[in-house]
Amino acid sequence: MSEFEKKMEIKNLSMFYGDFKAIEDISLDILARRITALIGPSGCGKSTLVRCLNRMNDLINGIRVEGEVILDDEDMYAPGYDTIALRRRVGMVFQRPNPFPKSIYENVAYGPKLGGIKKKDELDSIVEDSLKKAALWQEVKQNLQESGQRLSGGQQQRLCIARVIAVQPEVILFDEPCSAVDPVATQLIEDLMADLKQNYTMVIVTHNMQQAARVSDFTAFLLVQEQGEPGRLIEYGDTNTIFTNPEDERTERYITGRFG
Amino acid sequence: MEIRKTFHEQLDELYRDLLKMANTTVETIEQTRAAFASLDTAKAKGVMDDDDVLDHFVKKIEETGIELLARQAPVAIDLRTIIVIMRVAQHLERVGDLCVNISKAIVNLEGYTMSPWIQENMDEMFQRSIKMTLRAMEAFKERDLAKAKDLSKMDDTVDRINRTFLTSYNKESEEELELVIRVVMIARFIERIADHAVDVGENVSYMMTGEFVEFS
Repeated sequence: MSEFEKKMEIKNLSMFYGDFKAIEDISLDILARRITALIGPSGCGKSTLVRCLNRMNDLINGIRVEGEVILDDEDMYAPGYDTIALRRRVGMVFQRPNPFPKSIYENVAYGPKLGGIKKKDELDSIVEDSLKKAALWQEVKQNLQESGQRLSGGQQQRLCIARVIAVQPEVILFDEPCSAVDPVATQLIEDLMADLKQNYTMVIVTHNMQQAARVSDFTAFLLVQEQGEPGRLIEYGDTNTIFTNPEDERTERYITGRFG
Repeated sequence: MEIRKTFHEQLDELYRDLLKMANTTVETIEQTRAAFASLDTAKAKGVMDDDDVLDHFVKKIEETGIELLARQAPVAIDLRTIIVIMRVAQHLERVGDLCVNISKAIVNLEGYTMSPWIQENMDEMFQRSIKMTLRAMEAFKERDLAKAKDLSKMDDTVDRINRTFLTSYNKESEEELELVIRVVMIARFIERIADHAVDVGENVSYMMTGEFVEFS
């Protein structure tokens, strides 16, 4: 693993919703231009953890974070850290595709426009490039003015990926990106992620273990041991090892379906 | 966009690795045949030294096969293909080990003079075992069930030749008896190479039909 450089370092991270500790003392490296999967049973804290990686949890009242999340040598939880800039650098694709109620073009151009890009030919170029990178261009190039919400579920999700790509992120977080789309669209998105690895670091939360096995380079297994306890990191390793010979018995029991 | 590109590329690479391993195995049997033909100790030692190559192949194929099974959850023809590739690699590796055993026996034959009738029969056994290995791999590449089934008949001929040594030697000659005893051991190894080719054919049949049938 040490041959890959670290893009993010999660150090002793705990997160609280009020008094309730959701995740505890998680330390884990996110390696550059690799896909890291977070797996574990429902309620183990994997979505909570991934939302810590671009401070999306800040939008919830009463949350508190202990520990650090280092992005390129800077702790994103340090006082005064620019969270707006953070969410451009670390983009997110959600479980339910959520294109804006705007045209396909405007969905993708929205972020760059907010960032100050005004020239039409520059925006056109960004839109085309982003839609190509999201493997959607061929399907929509004739209909860029149509509403993004009229696309199929799988296409909407790829539009959301294009929207993230348009603002030139460094990291893309995926929170169960395929649970609301059909199997063929799922496979297209997984193939797309393999291509995106060349340029972007990715973290994917998935309850689908086979997806984690297919698509990721590294896998982290989280678990809530007893009801009421926080989610903890049980094991982290390269995906091949996790799925052929995990070190921890709890990991093995989960991935072999003995509990879930 | 092609679906499951990564998986298919990995499967193609596994397939190509097996074909390379098979080519190396056939070359190894041929080198062993040549070593026996002239009782060439140096050639025999060469076969022993090169056995690592086949060991390296089988290890790589096993590791890749296991990774694909664990990570890609292959089904149907993909599942059977990966299983068969792993099994065939094991058979090819055993053939390599048999060539090493033959080569050790060749070294122990230094100083002996081979009777022409023994030499001819042994050479025929070697040639047939090479043909069978090639035929088995053709069956695999071409998904040809008929070629796979041919192997059973071809094996009968090898078995028949194998049996002639103990019936055809000059019973008046203690020298020839001693030579035949040593040669019979080598012939047994070649007969096992031929058996492995039949096993490969059975695996090809399983890959294509999903049923495991022993070719009698």
